[in-house]
Amino acid sequence: MASFANALQSQVGRKILTGLTGIFLTLFLVAHLSGNLSLLIPDGGEAFNRYADFLHDLGPLLWIAEIILVALFLIHAYIGISIYRNKKKARPVDYKYYKSQGGPSKQNFASKSMLISGSVILLFVILHVMHFKYHLFSPETYMTSYNGEEMVDLARHVEVAFLNPWIVAAYSFVMILIGVHLKHGVWSAFISLGAKNPKITPVLYVVGGVVAVLLAAGFLLLPLYIYINGGLS
Amino acid sequence: MSNKDIISVNLKVWRQDGPNDKGRFEDYSLKEVNTHMSFLEMLDVLNENLMKEQKQPVEFDHDCREGICGSCNLVINGIPHGPEARTAACQLHMRHFNDGDTITIEPWRATAFPVIKDLVVDRNAFDRIMAAGGYVTVATGNAPDANAIPISKIDADSAMDYAVCIGCGACVAACPNSSASLFTGAKVAQLSKLPQGAPERKQRVKAMVEQMDKEGFGDCSNFAECEAVCPVGISITSIATMRTEYVKAMFS
Amino acid sequence: MEVADKTTFKWDSKIPTGPLTEKWKTHKNNVKLVNPSNKRKYNILVVGTGLAGASAAASLGELGYNVKAFCIQDSARRAHSIAAQGGINAAKNYQNDGDSIWRLFYDTIKGGDYRAREANVYRLAEVSNNIIDQCVAQGVPFAREYGGTLDNRSFGGAQVSRTFYARGQTGQQLLLGAYSALMKMVHSGKVEVRTREEMLDLVTVDGTAKGIISRNLVTGKIERHAADAVLLCTGGYGNVFYLSTNAKNSNVTAAWRCYRKGALFANPSFTQIHPTCIPVSGEYQSKLTLMSESLRNDGRVWVPKAQGDKRHPNEIPEEERDYYLERIYPSFGNLVPRDVASRNAKNVCDEGRGVGESGLAVYLDFADAIKRDGEKAIRDRYGNLFEMYQKITDENPYEVPMRIYPAVHYTMGGLWVDYNLMTTVPGLFALGEANFSDHGANRLGASALMQGLADGYFVIPYTIGNYLTEVTPGEVDTTHKAFDEAEQSITAEIEKVLNIKGSKTILDFHRQLGKIMWDKVGMSRDEQGLKEAIEEISALRKEFWSDVFVPGQPATYNKYLEYALRVADFLELGELMARDALDRPESCGGHFREESKTPEGEAKRDDENYTHVSAWEFTGVDKAPVHHREPLIFENVKLTQRSYK
Ligand SMILES: Cc1cc2nc3c(=O)[nH]c(=O)nc-3n(C[C@H](O)[C@H](O)[C@H](O)COP(=O)(O)OP(=O)(O)OC[C@H]3O[C@@H](n4cnc5c(N)ncnc54)[C@H](O)[C@@H]3O)c2cc1C
Ligand code: HEM
Ligand code: SF4
Ligand code: FES
Repeated sequence: MASFANALQSQVGRKILTGLTGIFLTLFLVAHLSGNLSLLIPDGGEAFNRYADFLHDLGPLLWIAEIILVALFLIHAYIGISIYRNKKKARPVDYKYYKSQGGPSKQNFASKSMLISGSVILLFVILHVMHFKYHLFSPETYMTSYNGEEMVDLARHVEVAFLNPWIVAAYSFVMILIGVHLKHGVWSAFISLGAKNPKITPVLYVVGGVVAVLLAAGFLLLPLYIYINGGLS
Repeated sequence: MSNKDIISVNLKVWRQDGPNDKGRFEDYSLKEVNTHMSFLEMLDVLNENLMKEQKQPVEFDHDCREGICGSCNLVINGIPHGPEARTAACQLHMRHFNDGDTITIEPWRATAFPVIKDLVVDRNAFDRIMAAGGYVTVATGNAPDANAIPISKIDADSAMDYAVCIGCGACVAACPNSSASLFTGAKVAQLSKLPQGAPERKQRVKAMVEQMDKEGFGDCSNFAECEAVCPVGISITSIATMRTEYVKAMFS
Repeated sequence: MEVADKTTFKWDSKIPTGPLTEKWKTHKNNVKLVNPSNKRKYNILVVGTGLAGASAAASLGELGYNVKAFCIQDSARRAHSIAAQGGINAAKNYQNDGDSIWRLFYDTIKGGDYRAREANVYRLAEVSNNIIDQCVAQGVPFAREYGGTLDNRSFGGAQVSRTFYARGQTGQQLLLGAYSALMKMVHSGKVEVRTREEMLDLVTVDGTAKGIISRNLVTGKIERHAADAVLLCTGGYGNVFYLSTNAKNSNVTAAWRCYRKGALFANPSFTQIHPTCIPVSGEYQSKLTLMSESLRNDGRVWVPKAQGDKRHPNEIPEEERDYYLERIYPSFGNLVPRDVASRNAKNVCDEGRGVGESGLAVYLDFADAIKRDGEKAIRDRYGNLFEMYQKITDENPYEVPMRIYPAVHYTMGGLWVDYNLMTTVPGLFALGEANFSDHGANRLGASALMQGLADGYFVIPYTIGNYLTEVTPGEVDTTHKAFDEAEQSITAEIEKVLNIKGSKTILDFHRQLGKIMWDKVGMSRDEQGLKEAIEEISALRKEFWSDVFVPGQPATYNKYLEYALRVADFLELGELMARDALDRPESCGGHFREESKTPEGEAKRDDENYTHVSAWEFTGVDKAPVHHREPLIFENVKLTQRSYK
């Protein structure tokens, strides 16, 4: 039996972990997106704020979830980076001429830029958390109340942020990068996790692309809507 | 694809005197290349010309020239085994080039495949991966009747799809990470399809993967470039199979 | 060098007494055994890692001997056996079509035109079934039927379906099976594989094999290896013809050096010319590609009835085609043995009815089979062969008939061995294509793989013990003066060839030799041609040693130096082949003498005078070798003129 620690050090073990963490991160994005999209319900941000408040009230459960999420990010990023470091070691003298054969090859802009897209995402996530959770760039806190229930008006917070063209531009850029990351990532994760029916793998590649586009588009929808609409409603 | 029978080509060939030499490209030009020639026959002609001038011929590996032994290993115009899909360098013919083309030729490049001379590299790392577990432990003379265990045609065919790997190493050469996953996966996948060797399945995948790590190959990023250059079209589903086998080995 | 006294030389083929069907069983019971704890004291060198070498090295390692295996390629898995396409025979009778050990034995002896030993061939047929079992157990993915049992196809020279196959890559799969067994023993530490290391000489002490001298092909270093026995599994020497279906590095060097050290060379002229190869396309051609014989199961061979008919094959109507094999041999049709098919192809081309640009080709047509079974069925059976044909010729065989022509493919001749596979040098064994033992004057399709694996898995593990029990292990080490002498002579030879710095390339000589061999010692031979060949080869050899250019240094990777040494040996071998052919004025199997044919032009044997093995003893490079004859005794089969009509 391969011990778990060994497995973490083996290429195959590592790859399975990238896939697992990648998939969970993707699922997190899906959850995050559905939360975000509740902002589009024309209720003055109530559903969204309640959702945020509900999460907040989970207390320790939320911490655990956050810790898991951070761990996922860290493991995923750590392995991703180490894959690239190994790559340099495995071929110190590079080809003078190198070309992809095409055909079944999945070498493309997306797959070749995983480290870059990933790193930008990492940077973004840190800033993003600081921005919306710790209010780094917008120190004022908006409050609202529904039926007497006092809570943070996160919706307003978001609205304000996305009325700023710089934030919208930067945010959109990163959302596109997430799409790019996932274009290769989703399919790749399936293969990492053992999708091996040759009839299905080409389908998975398409599915990966569709998921990537949907997620990116979903995340883009909100800022663009707010910015173009000049506010939430 | 050239319609002419005779073309001339310019070659940029990697020359390296030994493992410690830095290496360089040298330019040669060949007039009168018959397009029915194979690529290696074209190199034969180059070497004949060089030797007629008492110069050092270009060293390259080759043997069967039928695409089955896995000896030939040339990166032609940036692609291991050259531009034709599912074709080993020895089966590539000059009709796929045009008059006046410049063709670059480099060796496989990977830490695990050190250059010996010019275009010749050391691929013994593959042997060591095989020695780690790429076999069924059965001593000579101990076998039951061949038909004693029926194997469905589908499984036998699928095993064969993976078994045809010629061990050339193009997958490593083409992989941006220099991963040997396709080679290793092909053997693991072949044996995972057959009842023979099932008892040592877990041990096998673990040992082969461990050895692959030790040899200094890179990780697999599922680029599938390996499948694209593989002269026998081994599918990366073999890599996926290696991973599921590995997980099974881990949790048992 | 010990050369046995010519006049008193005694044959001892060590064939066990008793009835044919019992010989091997009795022999196995009678051979002396090496005690298990003693086995590890014996060192065995296995030169070659093809089917014969890999299976032998693995099996001997399993038994507990210390084994060192050598190959010239960068991996044991690349031995030339990898290229075998069609299949491997065994008398399993899974098809219930009446096959049996006896029939396989009979077909093989008859196919070999009664120039092989009954006892050896019977043993081969006997162990054939174990081979299939062994390979399946190793995970060789043979083709199967839907029910899960093994599938068979038919091959030339047989009327039963007994050929097991793995698509068109049977040799590859069998070799990978043997290679995996070998790597398993490497893992266990019992076998060491030395890749890219070429044996250049046999070291004998008092006439007994005690080791080899080899060259590390990466560093150029000359190495010494001492042992208690040496197994030569170095394959065939078809490349003496320059163009052949053999891999480019296949050579005779190891066997030739053993011949020079006193091992007799048997039937050197028995060469198989395979009928279905892709024709030569130009002067630059470096090798010929075989199209598996299995294609003749479905393909029909024909040429136009008229001479010089240059029409496109698809435009030649049915009634203007001559399906000559079906016409001449109605009962075997397209499945006649290889020698017969090849000779007939040559005949029709000699009549001016050959096709293609050179007129040296005949058609192999699948149109009827595609009509009958559908393109898919044909693709399933031969897909990869068709693909290969198309890659090479740029023609689509699903639409246009293939063009094929005979090419040198296999050498039945080789080092003479007794029933135990030992040569005339004690301690030196020869296995696989390197020996002469089982195929007589013509080998049937799918039986070389069988023989290589039989020798390695099932014969040598028994017979080597018999020899080793009489040897003190580790008697000689590499400091012995025999090693000094052998090493010095190899170093001197390498120096010499590098220092000629002549004006012709090695390839020039090899091509020229090949042309002499093909024209005069090829598909048909006659006295005058053979005599000329002897003269011409001898002159060419002298020219080689005075005018060849070999590039580079001795102590580096230097493929052309390897090549030069191999061609030098071919230049000696070629002459011996011509002599052997000359001293056998009968026709038999692949050896066709113009002087000996039936009125219909078929090969005519002369059993009265030539039912023997010719074995040659080296006396010096430019000296005539001594011709020995081992009589062949047939007690179980009646010698008949082969007829496939
Ligand atoms: C194209 C082709 C197709 C064939 N198809 C079939 C078929 O379908 N069925 C069938 O039964 N037979 C077939 N044959 C014949 C069969 O493949 C061979 O006869 C058989 O594989 C020979 O095996 P071997 O082990 O004797 O030698 P090989 O496989 O030739 O191995 C020789 C070994 O010796 C090593 N060697 C050689 N010289 C030296 C040296 N000096 N020092 C160290 N090592 C050395 C090589 O490296 C190699 O490892 C085919 C042959 C060819 C050419
Ligand atoms: C929302 C966050 C992220 C999601 C949803 C995500 C998703 C994925 C997925 C699904 C994969 C494919 C996994 C596999 O090949 O098995 C992947 C691969 C990768 N990710 Fe991420 N990722 C995220 C963040 C990051 C971050 C922060 C980094 C930091 C560097 C990163 C770097 C990489 C790299 C380098 C790969 C390629 C690994 C390889 O080459 O095999 N990702 N990602
Ligand atoms: S998997 Fe394909 S590319 Fe890789 S070694 Fe095998 S045959 Fe060559
Ligand atoms: S030379 Fe054998 S595969 Fe190319």
